[in-house]
Amino acid sequence: MVSDSITHNAPIASAPNSRDFSKKKRTNRSAKLKQCKLDVRREQWLSQVGAVKSKCCKEDQNGARKERARSLENLRRRDEDNSNDSGSMHHDSDSESPSNSPTNSLLCGNSGTNPGTNFIGSSSSSSSVSGSSGGGCCSGSITEEEEEDGCLDDWEAVADALAADDDNNKQEPEHDRSCSQSPSESQLSVQSDSLHELANGLSLDSVKSMPDGARMVPSVSENNRRAWRPDDAFRPQSLPNLAKQRSFPAADRHFGQGGVPWACNNVLAAPSSCPICYEDLDYTDSSFLPCLCGFRLCLFCHKRILEEDGRCPGCRKPYEHDQVESEAIVQGGSMTFRLARSCSMIARS
Amino acid sequence: MIDFSRVQKELQECSKDIEASGIKVTPVSDNLVHLTGIIPGPVGTPYEGGTFRLDITLPDGYPFEPPKMHFVTKVWHPNISSQSGAICLDILKDQWSPALTLKTALLSVQALLSAPAPDDPQDAVVAQQYLKDHQTFLSTARYWTESFAKTSSLGVEEKVQKLVEMGFPESQVRSTLEIVGGDENMALEKLLSS
Repeated sequence: MVSDSITHNAPIASAPNSRDFSKKKRTNRSAKLKQCKLDVRREQWLSQVGAVKSKCCKEDQNGARKERARSLENLRRRDEDNSNDSGSMHHDSDSESPSNSPTNSLLCGNSGTNPGTNFIGSSSSSSSVSGSSGGGCCSGSITEEEEEDGCLDDWEAVADALAADDDNNKQEPEHDRSCSQSPSESQLSVQSDSLHELANGLSLDSVKSMPDGARMVPSVSENNRRAWRPDDAFRPQSLPNLAKQRSFPAADRHFGQGGVPWACNNVLAAPSSCPICYEDLDYTDSSFLPCLCGFRLCLFCHKRILEEDGRCPGCRKPYEHDQVESEAIVQGGSMTFRLARSCSMIARS
Repeated sequence: MIDFSRVQKELQECSKDIEASGIKVTPVSDNLVHLTGIIPGPVGTPYEGGTFRLDITLPDGYPFEPPKMHFVTKVWHPNISSQSGAICLDILKDQWSPALTLKTALLSVQALLSAPAPDDPQDAVVAQQYLKDHQTFLSTARYWTESFAKTSSLGVEEKVQKLVEMGFPESQVRSTLEIVGGDENMALEKLLSS
């Protein structure tokens, strides 16, 4: 299975960095042993969560139960064919640490996706469950897997690299504190504590936090299969806003329609054709407002008028700039720049 | 160079609402330089019921230069020459705008018929009469409308037919009618005196 993940992931691997190789040694040693342990613990956890679910479904928010069920489903699926799960985002992180055991790579993967998901999840999760706040290791199987050294290192490395939001930074000291003891042991104890709490239903907080944590897993697995939506609350702020970029060509697409959207700000609605020559106004023409009265005309007719009396056909007032001035403003850019350029084109032809 | 595509579109636009405005613009020559405009006399004026014909010539600079217009039909109006039909209207001179069209210009002429400006006359005699003897002005204007603006609506061919029946050669009748602006009686006088 390990080798499977390697062969599957290696071609996709962007660039395994040096820290991954150091991790490789540590994690490979006990991969098989841990896998056995983890399987046992996963079963344990699943039964516990099932108990919690039956007890505390009233506290669950809408959909939390469903999502948790999905998360459990996800967990099973990941353990069974983790290496084949090429669609989800944790796979990308797998490729960063190709030699990790599948479960470990799953954890690392969730750590990798942490900045996006943990941002929300940790805000609602209580401090009693450090596992849920500790990055993407929010789902049961993941928290148990956190005992691995390499994984912890990897989380810290990723967190250092991607420390984008405050929540991450807040959690780090807590994490460090647990790491300063025996990282694997302390982490395990914390996790098992929280799991016991869950199992016994002692703390509502922890119970609530668990669905929150569980909710994050499906959100990870679902959201990571597609691009961030612009209105997505999970969306990292550092991502470029495509909606803005899209708005520019969208405006350009109105080109042929007489520049209707451009006319909204102006005194008069832009006509679809020049009132002087009756030719269709193009994009430049319809964004061209030579007179404060709002009378629009094409650049050719405007140029012709400037050559003669230079008065606006709409209000009969002289245009504020004559052709000589507009030629001089060529360096200035914007509207007058386009005007001047068009005029000079006419003059050459 | 005249923008013929614009003139063509103007004619199309004008023919669309000929019923509403009553203003017609028809080309005389094929090249759209020479046109004829027809405006109905405004209701409530001594020109009511008349149909006034104008000769329109487009300058090379049209629409950046105003069209040249004058009345063919004789009109008794302070701002229209009773002799030549020349029109004193600012939009046909310095206040022309390329945004105006033949139709809007003819509408302005029609408005001028209902709102004379005797302080800025084209025909001083008419303007004096308008200011000093308004009743006479009104009756004269009405008489001219009856005499010239209504008979012209009969059509040139009928007038030609009448005069030819009187024994004048057709070509001479047509040229004489052209000279006098379609007025049958004046054409007869001219034909008799020639």
